[in-house]
Amino acid sequence: MSETSLPHGFQYSNAGHQSGTAISGMWLFLATEVLFFGAIILSWIYCRHWNPAGFDAGAQKTQLAIGTINTVILLTSSLVYSAGLAFIEAGNRRRLIQCCVITWALGFSFLILKFGLEYYKDFSANLFPGSDFAINGALGGGARLFYVFYFVSTALHGIHMIGGLVLVGWIILRARRDEFTPLYFTPVAVVGLYWSFVDVVWIVLYALIYLVGRGS
Amino acid sequence: MTAHFRNLLVTWVLLLVLLAAEFGASFLPLARSARPLILIPVVLMVAAVGTMFMQVGRGPTIVRLFAVAALLWLSALLGLGILDPMTRIEYHVQDASRK
Repeated sequence: MSETSLPHGFQYSNAGHQSGTAISGMWLFLATEVLFFGAIILSWIYCRHWNPAGFDAGAQKTQLAIGTINTVILLTSSLVYSAGLAFIEAGNRRRLIQCCVITWALGFSFLILKFGLEYYKDFSANLFPGSDFAINGALGGGARLFYVFYFVSTALHGIHMIGGLVLVGWIILRARRDEFTPLYFTPVAVVGLYWSFVDVVWIVLYALIYLVGRGS
Repeated sequence: MTAHFRNLLVTWVLLLVLLAAEFGASFLPLARSARPLILIPVVLMVAAVGTMFMQVGRGPTIVRLFAVAALLWLSALLGLGILDPMTRIEYHVQDASRK
Protein backbone atom coordinates (compact mmCIF):
# COMPACT_ATOMS: atom_id res chain seq x y z
CA MET A 1 0.00 0.00 0.00
CA SER A 2 1.48 3.36 -0.99
CA GLU A 3 0.70 6.88 0.19
CA THR A 4 -1.12 7.64 -3.08
CA SER A 5 -3.70 4.90 -2.36
CA LEU A 6 -4.65 6.34 1.05
CA PRO A 7 -8.00 8.13 1.53
CA HIS A 8 -7.89 11.87 0.76
CA GLY A 9 -10.17 14.87 0.35
CA PHE A 10 -12.04 15.18 -2.96
CA GLN A 11 -10.13 18.31 -3.92
CA TYR A 12 -6.75 16.55 -3.82
CA SER A 13 -5.36 14.25 -6.49
CA ASN A 14 -3.95 11.89 -3.85
CA ALA A 15 -2.98 11.67 -0.17
CA GLY A 16 0.53 12.95 -0.95
CA HIS A 17 -0.98 16.06 -2.52
CA GLN A 18 -3.13 16.57 0.59
CA SER A 19 -0.14 16.14 2.90
CA GLY A 20 1.99 18.57 0.87
CA THR A 21 -0.80 21.14 0.94
CA ALA A 22 -1.13 20.87 4.74
CA ILE A 23 2.61 21.32 5.23
CA SER A 24 2.73 24.23 2.77
CA GLY A 25 -0.24 25.82 4.55
CA MET A 26 1.56 25.66 7.87
CA TRP A 27 4.66 27.26 6.32
CA LEU A 28 2.52 30.08 4.91
CA PHE A 29 0.97 30.60 8.34
CA LEU A 30 4.46 30.67 9.87
CA ALA A 31 5.50 33.28 7.28
CA THR A 32 2.71 35.54 8.60
CA GLU A 33 3.90 34.81 12.14
CA VAL A 34 7.39 35.96 11.15
CA LEU A 35 5.87 39.34 10.30
CA PHE A 36 3.87 39.36 13.54
CA PHE A 37 6.99 38.86 15.65
CA GLY A 38 9.02 40.98 13.20
CA ALA A 39 7.03 44.03 14.27
CA ILE A 40 7.93 43.27 17.90
CA ILE A 41 11.61 42.95 16.96
CA LEU A 42 11.36 46.28 15.13
CA SER A 43 9.98 47.89 18.29
CA TRP A 44 13.04 46.56 20.17
CA ILE A 45 15.43 48.05 17.58
CA TYR A 46 13.60 51.37 17.56
CA CYS A 47 13.27 51.76 21.33
CA ARG A 48 16.84 50.66 22.06
CA HIS A 49 18.23 53.00 19.41
CA TRP A 50 16.70 56.05 21.10
CA ASN A 51 17.17 54.86 24.71
CA PRO A 52 20.27 52.64 24.74
CA ALA A 53 21.41 53.27 28.32
CA GLY A 54 17.96 52.91 29.91
CA PHE A 55 17.12 49.92 27.75
CA ASP A 56 20.32 48.12 28.76
CA ALA A 57 19.75 49.06 32.42
CA GLY A 58 16.42 47.25 32.18
CA ALA A 59 17.99 44.21 30.49
CA GLN A 60 20.53 43.87 33.30
CA LYS A 61 17.70 43.29 35.81
CA THR A 62 16.30 40.28 33.93
CA GLN A 63 16.60 36.73 35.28
CA LEU A 64 19.41 35.41 33.07
CA ALA A 65 19.58 31.94 34.67
CA ILE A 66 15.86 31.25 34.20
CA GLY A 67 15.96 32.56 30.62
CA THR A 68 18.95 30.37 29.77
CA ILE A 69 17.45 27.24 31.35
CA ASN A 70 14.24 27.89 29.43
CA THR A 71 16.20 28.19 26.18
CA VAL A 72 17.86 24.81 26.79
CA ILE A 73 14.43 23.35 27.63
CA LEU A 74 12.92 24.55 24.35
CA LEU A 75 15.88 23.44 22.23
CA THR A 76 15.63 20.01 23.84
CA SER A 77 11.89 19.86 23.26
CA SER A 78 12.40 20.50 19.54
CA LEU A 79 14.98 17.72 19.41
CA VAL A 80 12.65 15.29 21.18
CA TYR A 81 9.66 16.14 18.99
CA SER A 82 11.78 15.77 15.82
CA ALA A 83 12.87 12.35 17.10
CA GLY A 84 9.19 11.46 17.63
CA LEU A 85 8.45 12.39 14.02
CA ALA A 86 11.32 10.16 12.86
CA PHE A 87 9.96 7.32 15.02
CA ILE A 88 6.48 7.41 13.50
CA GLU A 89 8.00 7.54 10.01
CA ALA A 90 9.70 4.28 11.00
CA GLY A 91 6.40 2.90 12.32
CA ASN A 92 7.14 3.15 16.05
CA ARG A 93 3.95 4.65 17.49
CA ARG A 94 4.89 3.96 21.11
CA ARG A 95 8.08 6.00 20.81
CA LEU A 96 6.14 8.83 19.13
CA ILE A 97 3.81 9.01 22.12
CA GLN A 98 6.75 8.96 24.54
CA CYS A 99 8.49 11.75 22.64
CA CYS A 100 5.31 13.85 22.54
CA VAL A 101 4.75 13.38 26.28
CA ILE A 102 8.34 14.50 27.00
CA THR A 103 7.89 17.47 24.63
CA TRP A 104 4.67 18.42 26.40
CA ALA A 105 6.34 18.15 29.82
CA LEU A 106 9.28 20.30 28.68
CA GLY A 107 6.92 22.92 27.25
CA PHE A 108 4.91 22.94 30.47
CA SER A 109 8.14 23.32 32.49
CA PHE A 110 9.01 26.33 30.35
CA LEU A 111 5.68 27.97 31.19
CA ILE A 112 6.02 27.22 34.90
CA LEU A 113 9.52 28.72 34.99
CA LYS A 114 8.47 31.71 32.90
CA PHE A 115 5.15 32.67 34.40
CA GLY A 116 5.28 30.93 37.77
CA LEU A 117 8.80 31.89 38.80
CA GLU A 118 10.31 34.56 36.55
CA TYR A 119 7.25 36.80 36.36
CA TYR A 120 6.86 36.43 40.14
CA LYS A 121 10.44 37.63 40.64
CA ASP A 122 9.92 40.48 38.16
CA PHE A 123 6.78 41.68 39.88
CA SER A 124 8.39 41.28 43.33
CA ALA A 125 11.29 43.48 42.17
CA ASN A 126 8.82 46.14 40.92
CA LEU A 127 9.89 45.68 37.33
CA PHE A 128 6.40 45.93 35.89
CA PRO A 129 6.28 49.39 34.27
CA GLY A 130 3.82 51.02 36.66
CA SER A 131 3.89 53.71 39.34
CA ASP A 132 6.29 51.79 41.62
CA PHE A 133 8.76 50.94 38.87
CA ALA A 134 12.18 50.07 40.32
CA ILE A 135 14.39 52.01 37.89
CA ASN A 136 14.04 55.78 38.06
CA GLY A 137 15.96 58.87 37.08
CA ALA A 138 17.57 59.37 33.68
CA LEU A 139 17.43 55.65 32.86
CA GLY A 140 13.82 55.20 33.95
CA GLY A 141 12.17 55.99 30.60
CA GLY A 142 14.29 53.57 28.59
CA ALA A 143 14.01 50.87 31.25
CA ARG A 144 10.22 51.19 31.25
CA LEU A 145 10.19 50.79 27.48
CA PHE A 146 12.37 47.70 27.83
CA TYR A 147 9.97 46.13 30.30
CA VAL A 148 6.97 46.95 28.11
CA PHE A 149 8.78 45.07 25.33
CA TYR A 150 9.68 42.27 27.76
CA PHE A 151 6.17 41.68 29.09
CA VAL A 152 4.40 42.04 25.74
CA SER A 153 6.81 39.79 23.81
CA THR A 154 7.07 37.07 26.46
CA ALA A 155 3.29 37.05 27.00
CA LEU A 156 2.66 36.68 23.26
CA HIS A 157 5.27 33.93 23.08
CA GLY A 158 3.65 32.26 26.08
CA ILE A 159 0.26 32.30 24.34
CA HIS A 160 1.90 30.59 21.36
CA MET A 161 3.44 28.04 23.74
CA ILE A 162 0.02 27.27 25.23
CA GLY A 163 -1.31 26.77 21.70
CA GLY A 164 1.62 24.44 21.03
CA LEU A 165 0.89 22.42 24.16
CA VAL A 166 -2.74 21.99 23.08
CA LEU A 167 -1.57 20.79 19.65
CA VAL A 168 1.02 18.36 21.07
CA GLY A 169 -1.67 17.04 23.45
CA TRP A 170 -3.95 16.53 20.43
CA ILE A 171 -1.18 14.57 18.69
CA ILE A 172 -0.77 12.39 21.80
CA LEU A 173 -4.51 11.61 21.87
CA ARG A 174 -4.60 10.77 18.16
CA ALA A 175 -1.46 8.64 18.42
CA ARG A 176 -3.02 6.73 21.35
CA ARG A 177 -6.02 6.03 19.09
CA ASP A 178 -3.55 4.56 16.60
CA GLU A 179 -4.38 7.13 13.89
CA PHE A 180 -0.81 7.54 12.63
CA THR A 181 1.15 5.14 10.47
CA PRO A 182 4.42 5.33 8.51
CA LEU A 183 2.22 6.33 5.53
CA TYR A 184 0.07 8.89 7.33
CA PHE A 185 1.65 11.25 9.87
CA THR A 186 0.98 14.68 8.34
CA PRO A 187 -0.54 16.19 11.53
CA VAL A 188 2.61 15.14 13.46
CA ALA A 189 4.80 16.94 10.90
CA VAL A 190 2.59 20.06 10.82
CA VAL A 191 2.49 20.41 14.62
CA GLY A 192 6.27 19.86 14.67
CA LEU A 193 6.72 22.84 12.35
CA TYR A 194 4.67 25.03 14.69
CA TRP A 195 6.52 23.80 17.79
CA SER A 196 9.95 24.43 16.27
CA PHE A 197 8.84 27.87 15.09
CA VAL A 198 7.84 28.81 18.65
CA ASP A 199 11.35 27.61 19.59
CA VAL A 200 12.87 29.91 16.91
CA VAL A 201 10.92 32.88 18.25
CA TRP A 202 12.26 32.21 21.74
CA ILE A 203 15.86 31.90 20.44
CA VAL A 204 15.54 35.46 19.10
CA LEU A 205 13.69 36.86 22.13
CA TYR A 206 16.21 35.29 24.52
CA ALA A 207 19.09 37.21 22.93
CA LEU A 208 17.15 40.49 22.71
CA ILE A 209 15.89 40.33 26.30
CA TYR A 210 18.70 38.76 28.30
CA LEU A 211 21.95 39.12 26.37
CA VAL A 212 22.40 42.27 24.30
CA GLY A 213 22.15 44.70 27.21
CA ARG A 214 23.86 42.44 29.76
CA GLY A 215 27.51 43.54 29.73
CA SER A 216 27.17 47.20 28.77
CA MET B 1 17.21 6.14 10.38
CA THR B 2 20.18 5.99 12.73
CA ALA B 3 21.93 8.64 10.62
CA HIS B 4 18.88 10.90 10.95
CA PHE B 5 18.87 10.57 14.73
CA ARG B 6 22.59 11.28 14.77
CA ASN B 7 22.02 14.43 12.68
CA LEU B 8 19.30 15.58 15.07
CA LEU B 9 21.59 15.03 18.04
CA VAL B 10 24.49 16.85 16.35
CA THR B 11 22.15 19.77 15.59
CA TRP B 12 21.08 19.91 19.23
CA VAL B 13 24.72 19.92 20.42
CA LEU B 14 25.53 22.63 17.85
CA LEU B 15 22.62 24.70 19.16
CA LEU B 16 23.89 24.36 22.72
CA VAL B 17 27.40 25.39 21.63
CA LEU B 18 26.01 28.46 19.86
CA LEU B 19 23.90 29.24 22.92
CA ALA B 20 27.02 29.04 25.10
CA ALA B 21 28.87 31.29 22.62
CA GLU B 22 26.25 34.03 22.69
CA PHE B 23 25.88 33.65 26.46
CA GLY B 24 29.64 34.14 26.91
CA ALA B 25 29.79 36.98 24.36
CA SER B 26 27.10 38.87 26.26
CA PHE B 27 29.59 39.47 29.10
CA LEU B 28 32.25 40.96 26.82
CA PRO B 29 32.83 44.69 27.36
CA LEU B 30 31.64 45.68 23.88
CA ALA B 31 30.61 49.21 23.00
CA ARG B 32 26.86 49.74 23.32
CA SER B 33 26.50 50.22 19.55
CA ALA B 34 28.45 46.99 18.88
CA ARG B 35 26.46 44.82 21.26
CA PRO B 36 23.90 43.69 18.66
CA LEU B 37 26.81 41.66 17.17
CA ILE B 38 25.94 39.17 19.92
CA LEU B 39 23.00 38.27 17.67
CA ILE B 40 25.26 36.56 15.09
CA PRO B 41 24.98 33.11 16.78
CA VAL B 42 21.20 33.64 16.85
CA VAL B 43 21.12 33.73 13.04
CA LEU B 44 23.04 30.44 12.93
CA MET B 45 20.72 28.89 15.53
CA VAL B 46 17.63 29.88 13.57
CA ALA B 47 19.18 28.43 10.39
CA ALA B 48 20.01 25.17 12.21
CA VAL B 49 16.48 24.76 13.57
CA GLY B 50 14.96 25.64 10.18
CA THR B 51 17.05 23.17 8.22
CA MET B 52 17.29 20.24 10.63
CA PHE B 53 14.26 20.32 12.93
CA MET B 54 11.79 21.99 10.53
CA GLN B 55 13.37 20.34 7.47
CA VAL B 56 12.72 23.28 5.15
CA GLY B 57 14.51 21.47 2.34
CA ARG B 58 12.28 18.41 2.50
CA GLY B 59 8.73 19.56 1.68
CA PRO B 60 7.27 20.71 -1.64
CA THR B 61 9.06 23.52 -3.52
CA ILE B 62 6.47 26.03 -2.40
CA VAL B 63 7.64 25.48 1.20
CA ARG B 64 11.04 26.96 0.29
CA LEU B 65 9.25 29.79 -1.50
CA PHE B 66 7.24 30.62 1.65
CA ALA B 67 10.39 30.44 3.80
CA VAL B 68 12.28 32.80 1.47
CA ALA B 69 9.24 35.09 1.26
CA ALA B 70 9.11 35.25 5.06
CA LEU B 71 12.76 36.33 5.19
CA LEU B 72 12.20 38.85 2.40
CA TRP B 73 9.16 40.37 4.11
CA LEU B 74 11.01 40.47 7.42
CA SER B 75 13.97 42.21 5.75
CA ALA B 76 11.61 44.79 4.22
CA LEU B 77 9.86 45.33 7.56
CA LEU B 78 13.04 45.76 9.56
CA GLY B 79 14.96 47.56 6.80
CA LEU B 80 12.30 50.19 6.14
CA GLY B 81 11.47 50.41 9.83
CA ILE B 82 15.00 51.28 10.96
CA LEU B 83 15.69 53.59 8.02
CA ASP B 84 14.53 56.65 9.94
CA PRO B 85 16.32 56.09 13.28
CA MET B 86 19.54 55.03 11.56
CA THR B 87 19.71 58.01 9.20
CA ARG B 88 18.15 60.84 11.20
CA ILE B 89 20.53 63.61 12.23
CA GLU B 90 19.70 65.21 15.54
CA TYR B 91 20.23 68.94 15.82
CA HIS B 92 20.29 70.19 19.39
CA VAL B 93 18.66 73.60 19.60
CA GLN B 94 19.19 75.96 22.47
CA ASP B 95 16.19 76.73 24.63
CA ALA B 96 15.20 80.31 23.62
CA SER B 97 13.61 81.03 27.02
CA ARG B 98 16.98 80.62 28.75
CA LYS B 99 19.29 83.59 28.56
